Amino acid sequence: MGPSGSEYRRVPPIAVSSSSTLVNHTGSWKYIRPLFQDRVAPCNAGCPVGIDIEGYMNLLREGRVAEARDLLLRENPMPGVTGRVCHHPCEVSCNRESFDRAVAVHAVERMLGDLAMPEVPLPAPPARNQRVAIVGSGPAGLACAYHLAGLGYRVTVFEAATQPGGMLRLAIPEYRLPEAVLDREIERIRARGVEIICCVNVGDDLPWWSVRANYDAVFLAPGAHRDRALEVEGEQSRGVEPGLKFLEDVKRGNRPNLGRQVIVVGGGNTAIDCARTAVRMGADCLVLYRRTRAEMPAIPDEVEEAEREGVKFEFLAAPVAFESKRGRLKAVECVRMRLGPPDASGRRRPIPVDSDHFTLPADTVLTAVGEVTDLAAVPQDLERQDSALRVGAWGETSGVRVFAGGDVTDETRSVAHALGAGKRAAIGIDRYLRQAAGEPVEPDGLARLRYGGSGNVSITRWRGDDPIQRASPTNDVVRFEDLNPSHFQRAARRDDRRLHSETARSGFTEVNLGLTRDGALEEARRCFNCAVCNGCELCLIFCPDVAIARGTDGNRFDIALDYCKGCGVCAAECPRGGITMTRAGL
Amino acid sequence: MSQLMIADRVPREELMTSGHVACPGCAAPIAMRMVLKALGPKTIVVMPASCWSIIAGPWPQSSLKVPLYHAAFETGAATASGVRAALDMQGDTETTVLVWAGDGGTFDIGLQALSGAAERNENILYCCYDNEAYMNTGIQRSSATPWGAATSTTPAVQPQSTHKKDILAILAAHRIPYAATATVAHPVDLLEKVTKARAIRGTRFLHILAPCPPGWKFEDDETIELARMAVRAGVFPLVEVEHGEHWRFTAEGAREPVGPYLRKQGRFRHLGEEQVRQIQAEVDRRWNAMRRRVESSESDEDGSLAEGG
Ligand SMILES: Cc1cc2nc3c(=O)[nH]c(=O)nc-3n(C[C@H](O)[C@H](O)[C@H](O)COP(=O)(O)OP(=O)(O)OC[C@H]3O[C@@H](n4cnc5c(N)ncnc54)[C@H](O)[C@@H]3O)c2cc1C
Ligand SMILES: Cc1ncc(C[n+]2csc(CCOP(=O)(O)OP(=O)(O)O)c2C)c(N)n1
Ligand code: SF4
Ligand code: SF4
Ligand code: SF4
Ligand SMILES: [Mg+2]
Repeated sequence: MGPSGSEYRRVPPIAVSSSSTLVNHTGSWKYIRPLFQDRVAPCNAGCPVGIDIEGYMNLLREGRVAEARDLLLRENPMPGVTGRVCHHPCEVSCNRESFDRAVAVHAVERMLGDLAMPEVPLPAPPARNQRVAIVGSGPAGLACAYHLAGLGYRVTVFEAATQPGGMLRLAIPEYRLPEAVLDREIERIRARGVEIICCVNVGDDLPWWSVRANYDAVFLAPGAHRDRALEVEGEQSRGVEPGLKFLEDVKRGNRPNLGRQVIVVGGGNTAIDCARTAVRMGADCLVLYRRTRAEMPAIPDEVEEAEREGVKFEFLAAPVAFESKRGRLKAVECVRMRLGPPDASGRRRPIPVDSDHFTLPADTVLTAVGEVTDLAAVPQDLERQDSALRVGAWGETSGVRVFAGGDVTDETRSVAHALGAGKRAAIGIDRYLRQAAGEPVEPDGLARLRYGGSGNVSITRWRGDDPIQRASPTNDVVRFEDLNPSHFQRAARRDDRRLHSETARSGFTEVNLGLTRDGALEEARRCFNCAVCNGCELCLIFCPDVAIARGTDGNRFDIALDYCKGCGVCAAECPRGGITMTRAGL
Repeated sequence: MSQLMIADRVPREELMTSGHVACPGCAAPIAMRMVLKALGPKTIVVMPASCWSIIAGPWPQSSLKVPLYHAAFETGAATASGVRAALDMQGDTETTVLVWAGDGGTFDIGLQALSGAAERNENILYCCYDNEAYMNTGIQRSSATPWGAATSTTPAVQPQSTHKKDILAILAAHRIPYAATATVAHPVDLLEKVTKARAIRGTRFLHILAPCPPGWKFEDDETIELARMAVRAGVFPLVEVEHGEHWRFTAEGAREPVGPYLRKQGRFRHLGEEQVRQIQAEVDRRWNAMRRRVESSESDEDGSLAEGG
């Protein structure tokens, strides 16, 4: 609308614009273009379970707590457990560790796990009529059952013990993992339709052949429950007890007499649990470990807690003989060790210094140098690999329709690894049964299912029902160098609340109390939301060409390629590596 | 401040259009876009010759959705004074008259008009987007070009030999009600300053650092990062001053060395370590002078409080 005729006479001659620059398609200048691209956060790639951590953190930031919990529960059936006892490698890989300190993922997970059960069950496909038997109700067995039930199968879990849960039930002490928490998690697993039958030792109470004949597939997850022998003179003496048996005994409610001085031999979680349990029974406790603190396989936080509760440590020392008097243990003879070159595990090998022996008084010795599998109790036709069952990428054994996972295989011994193995086998079994039913399956889809291409798998990807809309997803992991940390502010990591160590050591109540709900929600806001667009709009704000707009058609943003000159400012400024500059499609 | 809050604080209305012809990654349109978001549609832009005269589009186009008056190079503030007078005669006190000028048009050729307007305390908002040279005509040096920089008139063999003019102090010396610095890398700071300036009557001056990829010789995607680094290195402190005497830092953090900022830019590539040290010394000198201004403003305020009490 220009000025009218009479107005022209009043205004001096002057050029007046009548159109906008939108007629210039300046997008033709570019040789690269931005692409919104969701990738994978390193926490997720580093988690042995495989959990869309970046996704649920983002939902929490938006206050969508129930959805965050459901996203977590899709992948991890036991967040209340892992939030408490997992060694949380997610936090070791967290990008925030390169900025100030890692996000306390475990505490957020724990809070979500402790929330009430979903009011609406997670989506389940139509029921399938095949039946799967699962042997062992530890984390591997229960995870496999949970995911198979979620895929529509009829699942029965057989457990030899009187209650389900595996090591979580039988050994991990109450002060670290209250049974009520475990009960709640198992309740949620049952609610998905999983049948759990306890007091059935398969191979004993129920023959293997009948299980293998009556079910369409079998998943073996019997764990590793035998204490490794020390192979030290006098090991059979009274007063020298296997640590795992001791823990199981205490969990059954017994309080065996330990005497005053207890020595625990070993450096893993079992050793630390033995020591802290002994302290709670009034003993003085010393942990004897043949390497140094740095090589201890136990979770470092647990070692610190043990120290706070008064447990002493003797590093670089190993028992060589037990001395008894009149049938009672009196002392442990030890040899000093030194560290030699690295062994197969990458840790430095302990070498005895033969000239250096010393003796420590002891009323009880608890041996905790590792648990071994009992392969005599699993079908003999299944191929082994050293002391483990040999399995393929999907958990398949050499036996037809038989899968295995968890501690019975050559897998890192952790709850998270067991949960991941159970999930992987659930996918393997689904794949196998579909194939058997003549349905088409991907020939080798495992790489696609692995978050970030590392060890864990995503059942959401397998099911293909991701509730989160992802822009051009790729499986790359976003590293700290891919982020723009200028947009983040330092914020202190919230530490878990803990019982005072004096109170802690006097009983079996839970020591680590995690974070309050609000504390956990605040902690979730520390998350960078690596690799997922959280709608911060910095790309839109900084675009020199007004080429990014809030999206239509369900896209978060639309890029006007007619005007984007490909400067890359959006990609450089995106705090979380959510934009890739690419030549593709030009 | 969290990301979400930034998005929440940036007005949604777009008063600048795509299809403008700034170089890829240019900060000048980012600055304009943000300033107009804060000012809103009741704005008239007066624009002396500059890159922005081109960015605005050739006739009959305009990349702005508000009226824009192209003015002669040296006349930004004078033309704006006239536009203001015309609006006032119509009883329109609401519309903001915004001068949008480059550093050449502000520090050099337009300075006398600006000084005159400031002295009269004309009711205008004067924004200088500073890309530290005459970019539109091919990177000739201006009195805003920093010492040591290579331009087409001060090539690397004989780079800029004078230090950047302290334009903010010059404007403050006019005792105008409001003057401030800002950059494209600090959108909330920029928006707050424009919003504050909009509400004030009289001459308001905003000095916005606007990195230029071809002129400074850095990658197109580094524009925001360069502006951010300039602030962090103390090269371009974010400050505001009211009535020429109340100086205040609006962002202050740990100061970083100037070296990495210089090393990112081809216009400083010829500098040796000794020259970088010289620049650092000058940055430190200016920073300390600024700090003294801020501190003496603070103690003045304390003093007046004490008197009042
Ligand atoms: C003391 C201790 C502390 C630990 N602390 C931690 C920790 O803090 N964090 C961590 O990540 N990991 C910890 N672990 C390791 C972790 O508990 C195991 O890696 C994990 O439980 C292995 O899971 P699984 O399902 O393979 O086996 P298990 O948990 O061992 O479960 C196997 C189950 O199978 C049952 N079963 C075996 N054979 C049969 C059969 N024939 N018929 C029926 N049922 C059978 C068993 O009774 C058992 O319930 C700890 C282990 C121990 C021993
Ligand atoms: C009186 C006059 N002299 C010279 C010019 C040519 N000219 C147009 S824009 C410009 C440079 C403007 O530099 P600056 O103000 O820094 O803005 P920039 O282009 O750098 O954004 C020059 C010299 C002119 N238009 N008028
Ligand atoms: S900051 Fe958040 S998304 Fe990124 S690695 Fe850490 S927990 Fe994962
Ligand atoms: S800058 Fe923010 S809104 Fe844009 S892609 Fe990255 S996360 Fe998403
Ligand atoms: S020359 Fe520099 S200031 Fe001018 S349009 Fe290009 S980038 Fe922007
Ligand atoms: Mg200029």
